[in-house]
Amino acid sequence: MSAIYARRRITNGIAMVLSGFATLLGLIFLVWILWITAQNGLSALNLTLFTKITAYADQGGLSNAIVGSLIMDLMALLICAPIGVLAGTYLAEYANSTRLGASIRFLNDILLSAPSIVLGLFVYVIIVLPISDMTHGTISFSGFAGSVALALIGLPVIVRTTDEMLQLVPGTLREAALSLGIPQWKLTVQVLMRAAFSGILTGILLALARLAGETAPLLFTAFGNNFMTMHPLDKMASMPGTIYQYTNDPNPALHAIAWAGALLITLFVLALSLLTRIMFSRKKVSYE
Amino acid sequence: MNDLAAATAAPLAGATSSAKIKVRDVHFYYNGYQALKGINMDIPEKQVTAIIGPSGCGKSTLLRIFNRIYAIYPKLEAKGSIELDGENILDPNYSMNRLRTKVGMVFQKPVPFPMTIFENVAYGIRHHEKMSRADLEIRVEQALRSAALWEEVKDKLKQSALGLSGGQQQRLCIARGIALRPEVLLLDEPTSALDPIATGRIEQLVEELKHEYTIVIVTHNMQQAARCSDRTAFMYLGELIEFDNTEKIFTKPGKKQTEDYITGRFG
Repeated sequence: MSAIYARRRITNGIAMVLSGFATLLGLIFLVWILWITAQNGLSALNLTLFTKITAYADQGGLSNAIVGSLIMDLMALLICAPIGVLAGTYLAEYANSTRLGASIRFLNDILLSAPSIVLGLFVYVIIVLPISDMTHGTISFSGFAGSVALALIGLPVIVRTTDEMLQLVPGTLREAALSLGIPQWKLTVQVLMRAAFSGILTGILLALARLAGETAPLLFTAFGNNFMTMHPLDKMASMPGTIYQYTNDPNPALHAIAWAGALLITLFVLALSLLTRIMFSRKKVSYE
Repeated sequence: MNDLAAATAAPLAGATSSAKIKVRDVHFYYNGYQALKGINMDIPEKQVTAIIGPSGCGKSTLLRIFNRIYAIYPKLEAKGSIELDGENILDPNYSMNRLRTKVGMVFQKPVPFPMTIFENVAYGIRHHEKMSRADLEIRVEQALRSAALWEEVKDKLKQSALGLSGGQQQRLCIARGIALRPEVLLLDEPTSALDPIATGRIEQLVEELKHEYTIVIVTHNMQQAARCSDRTAFMYLGELIEFDNTEKIFTKPGKKQTEDYITGRFG
């Protein structure tokens, strides 16, 4: 007996040490990244970042990039959230155990892991080039094209979370509503969506956090702009794009601004994650 | 088993009122697997009929045919006929909407909708009937009173139903069901997730509701069947073994299998 217990305790100990070590390793890097970003970003953080545009280079700020990113992220969300929620609903409620549903889920997972540069190139080919041809080059790269590329990043995240959240709603809730004679569409919109609401919203916010940090899809779509613009058909600056550009510059003053920008994005994403956390913790009233 | 089928198909002894539901030679298949084998029974109007039997005997399956809720899943098939007031509800032409307003159902676990207490009851009514707010409020109150819940929730109708206790939630589900003024109420192990006090209240409620509704209750709990039903059906392996007055089933069962089950020799 005691030999068995001793062996179990040793195995348990080994497993605990290994997993603890792995956790620690992950945490070290995470804290390290945050530390370096904060250290370099905080010293460059000042009001000019929000008031001046990038055209002034090292004498300037990031205001046009901040505005550009906010506009493109929001437009992207406006495009991908409705499509994603509806598609996820279709998967969970109408195509759940069908072969078509399984195929769509598989394709969605591929889109989820597609290299973002590929999505950027795709939007370049289907939007930027045709618009450029049609307008004889007056309009080519645009904030709109950028947000479509970002929407493609966010879409599969929303489809998947909506699908999963709806599947978590107990089947008995569906039976209960249907046995009252409630039709499927009403049940889906008024009962199931409501039951899964905070989960679906979490998915949308996670998608926003994900697409807010993307650089590659914007390279051939929004392109970048040193001046302030809010017109969706103009070339548009973005935070990740500007950071990428500035870190490639030999001027150390631009590096500092890039760090400050990196810190701002990090804080933005952090705030989104915290928001989703708070929402999830409030959703503790569940069906047991 | 042929003699059995013949015996159950024969006019039922001791039936005190007319049959609300007539089940005739009902077979049921889950993806090809036969779960019900030629069920025949007459469910009397405004009485409580309990269906008992061990797990997997088909009692819930049978109940779920009465409002065709099984039909929302693919690959399930029912054969035979079930007449509700003389009309076959298994006929594809029988309106699902009509069926579900005539036959209400309460499930094993309480599943309130993620809405306020008031909305939970009002939701179904509003879908089927157009009425003024004042009339709706009256209907909701009536339903909650019939479900013996009104006194507990009258001051918090605007609060989420998810905050109620399990027993209250289950009575809310009953209120939601009877708010549509059905004629038949199906209860699928309605107390198996509840504590003894909440169970007692539900049983008392069933006793009161039978004056207005035809009630069919599936239960694992034999004492419950004995306490609150007028007639009891014993099912085993997809067949109806015996169906008679509750008192007779529990005191002088006609079949050996029934006796073995109610005396706890198997099940």
